[in-house]
Amino acid sequence: MNGPAPARGLRALDIDPSVAGIALALAVTAIGFDLASGGIFLTPRNLSNLAIQSSVVGIMAAGMVLVIGARHIDLAVGSIVGVTGMAAAVIQVEWFSPDAAWGWPLATAAALGLGALIGAWQGYWTAYRAIPSFIVTLAGLLIFRGLAYLWTDGRTVAPLQPGFERLGGGIDGSIGGPWSLALGILAVAAIGAATARRRAERRRHQIPTRPLWADLVRFGVAAGTILGFVAVMNAYTLPRTDVARGIPLPVLFLIATAIGVDSLARRTRFGRHAFALGSDPEATALAGVRVQRVTLWVFALMGLLAGLAGVLTSARLGAGANSMGTLAELRVIAAAVIGGTSLRGGSGSVVGALLGALFMQSLENGMVLLGVSSALRQICIGLVLLLAVWIDSATRSRGHS
Amino acid sequence: MIGSTDRPQFGRAIARLLRSLRWPIHGLGAALLCAGPAFGEVAVGVSWSNFQEERWKTDEAAIVAELERLGARYLSADAQSSLEKQAADLESLIARGADVLIVLPQDADALVPAIRAAQREGIPVIAYDRLIELPGVLYLSFDNREVGRIQARVIQQRVPNGRYVFVKGSPQDPNSHFVHAGQLDVLRPSIEAGRIEVVGDQFVDGWLPEVAQRITDQLLTANADDIDAIVCSNDGMAGGVVAALSARGLDGTPVSGQDGDHAALHRIALGTQTVSVWKDSRALGRRAAAAAVLLADGTAPAAIPGVRRWTDGPHGRPVDAILLEPVAITRDNLGVVIEANWVPRDVVCRGATAAPPPACEVP
Repeated sequence: MNGPAPARGLRALDIDPSVAGIALALAVTAIGFDLASGGIFLTPRNLSNLAIQSSVVGIMAAGMVLVIGARHIDLAVGSIVGVTGMAAAVIQVEWFSPDAAWGWPLATAAALGLGALIGAWQGYWTAYRAIPSFIVTLAGLLIFRGLAYLWTDGRTVAPLQPGFERLGGGIDGSIGGPWSLALGILAVAAIGAATARRRAERRRHQIPTRPLWADLVRFGVAAGTILGFVAVMNAYTLPRTDVARGIPLPVLFLIATAIGVDSLARRTRFGRHAFALGSDPEATALAGVRVQRVTLWVFALMGLLAGLAGVLTSARLGAGANSMGTLAELRVIAAAVIGGTSLRGGSGSVVGALLGALFMQSLENGMVLLGVSSALRQICIGLVLLLAVWIDSATRSRGHS
Repeated sequence: MIGSTDRPQFGRAIARLLRSLRWPIHGLGAALLCAGPAFGEVAVGVSWSNFQEERWKTDEAAIVAELERLGARYLSADAQSSLEKQAADLESLIARGADVLIVLPQDADALVPAIRAAQREGIPVIAYDRLIELPGVLYLSFDNREVGRIQARVIQQRVPNGRYVFVKGSPQDPNSHFVHAGQLDVLRPSIEAGRIEVVGDQFVDGWLPEVAQRITDQLLTANADDIDAIVCSNDGMAGGVVAALSARGLDGTPVSGQDGDHAALHRIALGTQTVSVWKDSRALGRRAAAAAVLLADGTAPAAIPGVRRWTDGPHGRPVDAILLEPVAITRDNLGVVIEANWVPRDVVCRGATAAPPPACEVP
């Protein structure tokens, strides 16, 4: 025989159970809120807002998957958002003339660089000085929040350059109908081509492929999701006009980040090493993996993504405020864990983390829509977090080892 | 002979001894020099809850300047929002020699034991900006309820009838409740008469601007943009509120704030924010420093100039209070904050060329 027999029936669809679980929870929540709010939750406007509101946490959650997967934690991401957001604001408005066209791109690049540098710094202490990442990043949480404050002595920096503020969404922060449709079609075509190519490759090497119907169903779901998403984004129009807004820029960054980090995690050696590190550090070291280097890069990547989150947060707010990102680390870790990343390390899903971020934000979004008070929201979100992770771990131990 | 051979050795030994002692001698001298003026000088200990909000740096600068002028010493501690740390800070300030304490409480109820302990040691306490409802404590603040009344009055003048939203501060901060109570003092008659309909009412954890922005997104969605005014309790959050309004092309909807943040004053010049209630925290700092020195010299709280009896606290206990008057800053009187050197003119007026407010008009 040429290998294991191809899976039959529903198993052939190869559904990742934790991703399916969170997707189901998301669907149930969305329908529930839509009914309770009298049909407001599932409108293009609210869904577009929801997507933007989830972007910052989603971007960081993608990075957190690798961090937690490597059996570390990063508690400083919220503070990195604060200090990099401040950096972007101060540089574009105070270091350069506020009217200089190249002010904000340079400021953005600087903020990203700062984020990566901070991440690398934390990675250095964790990897080469063997200090537990909990402590290193707890120190980072304090240090960088303090720096964010000191930078302007607590002053909020506003307004920012219009080009920069576009990055945060807002009235001219989307790419418009035609571009969104084009990107959607491109994405569907790319997935179709990749699926076809994978089938051809496997057939050439005589590895059993998924049954055609399974691949078609998977492709159909992906295509449907993508085109449905584009349709919803295009259905949200500029106020008092018929002009489609299209995909908001923060959401575009989120999608790009998700694709990038997911590829990194699942298709590169670096990603495999990171998860191996979390699964069994000693064995990974003995296998010849440069454990310290991998750790450093994992944290540097997390810092870079937190920097991007900082840029988007200050762009959306239209200001650099030293309190930006406060408590974000909790939301980011919750999103990753809800999405199936085990705190024990060794496994994680970027797509799951994204859905986790979306799910957590849906709860806040829906409850404010319904006028629920902040204390009740806090209780609800805490209970749901507990429930979601419990269900996920219970179903996982039943199905897989 | 002993004398002739030992004297140089003896001299050298003395020299060596003195050389080895030179640092302790210098230190003692320095300590005496520094401590000298401290004998008889009043030491004022200030316990900050945290330095995160923009304004506390201004307060501190004012307190320090006034204390220098009065010849008193400044000691401080930052509790970084921790109740436990603040209790420890109070003890440490006393240990460092504070004769009087100025406390910006993180949580007044939780600090009661530490404050009672200070009072038992004969150290008077001033509650700075946030209420501590204990007998003997001097409460020094702006009339926060008046802040809310001013915000509501200005907004109501712009929008006497319509659909209102309240974006309030942190639910754990008693000031949020005082401000909102003031807002309701002014608006309740109109609400009850049906002229004003409250279609949204939310607290914002930590007064965070991003949270205020998300909440405003949702309130706008829930009401299909049909909101005529947003009574917002501070400038930081007003930034988030205005960002959410701009994303829907609703700039210019009346929005209130407090603190006189530079960004907010600029928004007022542009017309995207209606009012910021300005509390010259420099005045508060000056009054606190002056009152602290008087208290340390033995003056009773009730005898401090400007004090009155105040009973508006949550427990209704009578408190000796100095409450300063806040000022409403709108388009028409931006000159007030510019002339008081609170904010530079170009920061306020940048970009306000389309319909400049009086203070920004080029003469």
